[in-house]
This record gives sequence, structure tokens and C-alpha cells, in this order.
Amino acid sequence: MKRYEMIVIGAGPAGLSAACAAAEAGMEVVVFDENAKPGGQLFKQIHKFFGSREHQARIRGVKIGENLLADAKKLGAKVVLGATVLGIYKNKEVSVRLEGEVRNYKADSLIIATGAAENMVRFDGWTKPGVMGAGAAQTLMNLHGIRPGKKILMVGSGNVGLVVAFQLLQAGCEVTAIVEAAPRVGGYGVHAAKVARTGVPLYTSHTITRALGADTVTGAVIAEVDGSFAPKPGTEKTLDVDTVCIAVGLSPMSQLADNAGCEMVYDGAKGGYVPVLDEDGETSLKGVYCAGDVCGIEEASTAMIQGKIAAAKAACELGYMSEGAFAQKAKGYRESLKKIRAGMFGPANKGRADIVATDEGYPLSQSLLKNGFIAERETADFPTFTYGGGTRVVIECTQNIPCDPCQDACPKGCIRVGADIALLPTLDASRACTGCGLCVGACSGQAIFLINDTLEDGHGTVGLPYEFLPLPQKGTSGKALDRSGRELCDAVVVDVRNSKAMDKTPMLVMKVPKIELGRARFFKVLEAATSGAEEGSVL
Amino acid sequence: MTVIVREKSTDSFAPQAEDDMLVCRCEEVTQGDIRTAVHAGLRTFGEIKRYSRAGMGLCQGQTCQRLVRAVVAAQLKVPAGEIGRVAGRAPVRPVVMKELALSTEESEGVDDYAE
Ligand SMILES: Cc1cc2nc3c(=O)[nH]c(=O)nc-3n(C[C@H](O)[C@H](O)[C@H](O)COP(=O)(O)OP(=O)(O)OC[C@H]3O[C@@H](n4cnc5c(N)ncnc54)[C@H](O)[C@@H]3O)c2cc1C
Ligand code: SF4
Ligand code: SF4
Repeated sequence: MKRYEMIVIGAGPAGLSAACAAAEAGMEVVVFDENAKPGGQLFKQIHKFFGSREHQARIRGVKIGENLLADAKKLGAKVVLGATVLGIYKNKEVSVRLEGEVRNYKADSLIIATGAAENMVRFDGWTKPGVMGAGAAQTLMNLHGIRPGKKILMVGSGNVGLVVAFQLLQAGCEVTAIVEAAPRVGGYGVHAAKVARTGVPLYTSHTITRALGADTVTGAVIAEVDGSFAPKPGTEKTLDVDTVCIAVGLSPMSQLADNAGCEMVYDGAKGGYVPVLDEDGETSLKGVYCAGDVCGIEEASTAMIQGKIAAAKAACELGYMSEGAFAQKAKGYRESLKKIRAGMFGPANKGRADIVATDEGYPLSQSLLKNGFIAERETADFPTFTYGGGTRVVIECTQNIPCDPCQDACPKGCIRVGADIALLPTLDASRACTGCGLCVGACSGQAIFLINDTLEDGHGTVGLPYEFLPLPQKGTSGKALDRSGRELCDAVVVDVRNSKAMDKTPMLVMKVPKIELGRARFFKVLEAATSGAEEGSVL
Repeated sequence: MTVIVREKSTDSFAPQAEDDMLVCRCEEVTQGDIRTAVHAGLRTFGEIKRYSRAGMGLCQGQTCQRLVRAVVAAQLKVPAGEIGRVAGRAPVRPVVMKELALSTEESEGVDDYAE
């Protein structure tokens, strides 16, 4: 039986990072993944990631995946796709289904990085065609170029629900509503805000009670819920939708760890049954490690670091790295993990309803938490919403999330986040903003706007991130929408900036009356202007 | 940890709203089927699975595991973590018998298949 120094199961961010780290240390590594495409979840993430440069922030997930695969190959790790691991037996023997046969391989060290699977909720009609996981919808759109439906109800407002809702809009679908059973939006405020300003209503304290239709979905009934999540009679609303996407969380796919004989524990906060791990990711079985979502649902950024720690430990155990070198590497990785886990959505704070202010002491926008957008009166609570007297940026990033690409993007040093990347970005008034718009394109949360109030005819301009196709040209007229997606006034596109550095997040500059500069945050093309354009292609 | 009492309930089985709703779609097991199993004295996921086939279908409990656990936990009024899990057994994915029969003590490596 062929023996490898390391077998990695799963070619997602955790598995590929582990493979790179182990191969770099000199180990003979093979990675098995049951998918036809490598990258795990990353291959459908077309949005820009959060974090800091060391976490690959500002790069789109799909690109991070491509880079990881290229690195793995360059370093000599063998990545085998279409290879389903069926079981793990004694002495790290792995059985793999590959090209219509079951093959068995042995490993000196084993990294289980199998990721997670989507959760489902039950309601009347949940098994009808047309009800699908948000991840499945994302796979359809971003991998296969197929729209999952025309009119969508998204159930769940965590980052997955919000990100997929936005991508559905990019694909040309109508997102009729997002419902969230909790009283607060689950995901980042910046993700919610970019969906809300396109006009998608977000109903917190609401759930789906029924999917209508005989064979397929022809509508959905939603209702308000009480404190114990029971629908309140008389609050039902029927929505005209043909697709229901479910984004109510993920569960670790930990069966292989269980099958291998690793000690398991139920941890609700981590998403279900997870292997018991030491600080390096080693399970109760010597030489068997776990990394990524399989040990608890987190992020690609954390998965990559966990993979590297586990691989370094394995390399150290097999004599490819000295104890000292390992200790030093692990220290750096752990610091990086700590950085990315900070903020109000980090594992220590997630779901806490008692956080009422930012670390800086600003009151959290209640409207952002309840409706997905900041109310105009709340904007005065934050120092980065002021404009006037020329070209200024407004930064609508009001929650402590681990993210700092805005700071890196500004060539003039106008924007500062600092070493603690969960702190809010601040503006340095002593530095002159040139109005280049690079920060608008770089912001992973699409939360930066460029305001110029110096036009002479009682008008000004708002520069906004715009990731939809077709990209409106200079001179296109339409409507300016406010943060809630309500139509405010007529607007005309006076400039479009789309440099390579902006990486497909162009800045649209629209001209609006001066009194609307504080609230005009999205541009809606008038219907007639879109005809003849290439329909609904994704960036 | 709560001590689980394995006893058939002496009360008569009381139907509930949504008892005809599917919980495990692969094996078409309803909420009522699972509640009946609990009523009959079955307690852990493993027991419920053997009795009702919930979690034994194509997805091997990937979709229904949480849902089944929630139904049982609600019925027994215990935290979901007390119900246990679908044991992770090989094969963790469905595999046709022919392929299992073709299982080899492969001595060659994966080089022919690597990307
Ligand atoms: C919509 C959405 C948006 C997200 N946005 C972000 C973001 O902005 N930033 C961020 O950091 N994270 C984000 N994430 C989270 C991130 O994608 C995941 O946390 C990350 O992919 C987990 O990595 P992983 O390597 O653990 O697992 P995965 O990426 O899930 O990879 C696991 C791999 O293992 C394979 N596998 C499983 N079982 C087997 C088996 N038996 N045999 C062979 N192969 C197997 C799977 O096919 C898969 O390819 C997002 C997730 C979603 C769904
Ligand atoms: S517009 Fe340009 S100069 Fe102004 S803050 Fe943004 S990146 Fe800096
Ligand atoms: S403003 Fe800066 S910190 Fe906030 S989402 Fe944008 S890039 Fe991240």
C-alpha cells in the first residue's frame, strides 16, 4: 500500500494551506477532494474578503483559491480531484473512491479539512423544488452560470445570506426580501447595507412559514415571530417568489474524524459535533489533525491559518522542522488568528445582544441592526460621515469588524485603522484627499463614498461602488436611492472610474442636488436605459 | 449529563401539528414517525435511526441530523447535545457495490490522477 507522509482530506482553504505548508517543509503531500474543482467554498466566493493584508483581504475568494492551488502545485503537493474519501481506518489508512474504484493509502500524518454542510429549516413545503440552500444557489450562479430563479426569498441574514443575496442581484435576479428570525441582522452591517440600498427589504423577527405551490414554489408566506420564535397569528404576508434560499448556518462535516475514532464533542457555538483538538489542531489520535470549518464554523481566513498550524506541527513531529522553528511559526500564526477573530462578530462576541456601542464608544446603529441600513439621524453619531468644502470621503463602516483594506488603499494616508484591525477606520483631516476613489473600490464592505459639494448649480456628486453589469456609461440618467433603497431624486452619471487597482469594483459618480448628498447612496438605471444590454452577467 | 430513561411512555401518543411534515427527506421520515419512536422509548440518535431509518439515506444525515435532533430534544425536553449523533461510519458517502468490490490494496501512488 502506498504510504504518504501527509494525506490532506479536502482542498478548501484549510486543506490547501496545510498542503502548502507541509510541502514547503519538504513533506510528500497528497490532497484528496471529492469536487471537480479545488478551493472548497472559495471557488464560488466572488466577493472581496475582509481581514488584513496577511489574511489576503481585498482579494476575491475565488482568486485566493486559485493562488492557493497554484502554490500547492508549485511546492510539489499532489492535488487529486474527484476523489471521495470514504473512510479512515486504523494506522491512518484512508480509503478513497477514485475513477470508479476504491483505493487505499496510508499516511504518516493526516489532516481532515472537510469543511461544513448547510443547515436546513423545516416549514410547510420545505422539500419542494425551488427551496434550496443559499450555498447551492451560489454554486448554480457562480460555478455553472445558472440563475437559481427569478424572484427570491432569502431566509437568514448572516454573512452567507447577505453575500448570496447580493450575488443574486448581481446575477440579475430579484431578491424580494430577506427574513431573519432573530431581532437583529446576523451578518456584518456593511454587507446588509449594500443589499438594503438596492431596495431589498430586510425583515428581522420574521420567518418563513410556508412555501406555496403544487410542484414548485409559486410563493412564500412569511410571518413575524415572538420572543420564542413562534409565528404571531395575523402577521402573515404572502410574497410572490419562485425560489426560497435557506441561509441558516452550517454544520461541521466531521463524520470522517468520528469514523477515524477521534474523540468528539457537541458544541452548539461551533455548529454541532466537532473533534476535540489541542491548540495545534491535533485530535485525540496522534498524527491526525483537523483544520477549518470541520472544527467549528468560522471563516476562510481562519481556516487557512489553522491549516498552516496543523501542517507545521505535523512537519515538526516527522522531523521536517525543529521544535524551535515550529514554536516561532506557531506564535506568528496564533497572533494572526487573534487579529482576525477580533470584533463584534468574532467567536467571543458573536450573537451577543448586549453590545450596544463600538469599542470607540459610539452607539451602534440600531437601524442597521434592525433594518440593514443606518438611519439618517444616526449618522451624526460617527465622525466619518461628515462632508463639505470640497472632495471628501464618507466612511459608512460603523461596526468593529476585522478589516483594513481602506487604510492600505489610500495613497495619501487619509484613512487610518491602525494595528487593531477591528477598530473603525478614521479620517486624517490634515491630509488632502485627491478624490482618486481608490478606497471606494478597495473597501471590502462597499462602505466608502466620495462626496463633492462644490458644483455650482446647487448640485454635487456622490461617488459610489457599483458592482453590477451593464456598467452605466457617463451621461446615463436614473434615480438616486437612499440607504434604504427608496427613490430620492433624479441623478445622472457624470463619471465612471474603473482602474485595475479597483479590481472590478468601479466607482460610479452621480450628480444629485446638494441637499441629497448626505443620503443618496445608490444609482438605479431607468428601465429604458438597460434594454439591449447583455443581460444579468456576473462580474 | 442528564440520565436518559428508556421507557415506553405510558401516556397515549398525542398527535401534534406538523406531525406529517418530513424531517428526513431521503428516507421520507416524518416528525410523527420520530415522535412515535421517542414515545416507544427510543432516546438517542442511534436508536431513532435504526428504528425509523432517519439519517440512513443518500446524504447520511447531512441534511436532517439537526432537524431530527431538534424534534427528539423538544419531545424529551433536553438540550440537543444530549441526543447524540449519526455515528460517522465508512463509507461516509454512498458508493456502489461494484466499486467496493473493486477495492484494491493500491501500491502505486496517485501521480496519474493529480492535477
Ligand atoms: C456565501 C459565503 C461567503 C463567505 N464569505 C467569506 C469571507 O468573506 N471571508 C472569509 O474568510 N470566509 C468566508 N466564508 C467562509 C469560508 O468560505 C469557509 O469558512 C471556508 O471555506 C472553510 O474552509 P475549509 O477549508 O474548512 O472548508 P471548505 O472550503 O468547505 O472545503 C472543504 C472541502 O472538503 C471536501 N470534502 C469534504 N468531504 C470530503 C470527503 N469525504 N472526501 C473528499 N473531499 C471532501 C469538500 O468537497 C470541499 O472542497 C464564506 C462562506 C460562504 C458560504
Ligand atoms: S479618494 Fe483617494 S485620496 Fe481620497 S481618501 Fe480615498 S484613496 Fe485616499
Ligand atoms: S471601510 Fe475599511 S474597515 Fe470598513 S469595510 Fe471598508 S475596507 Fe473594511
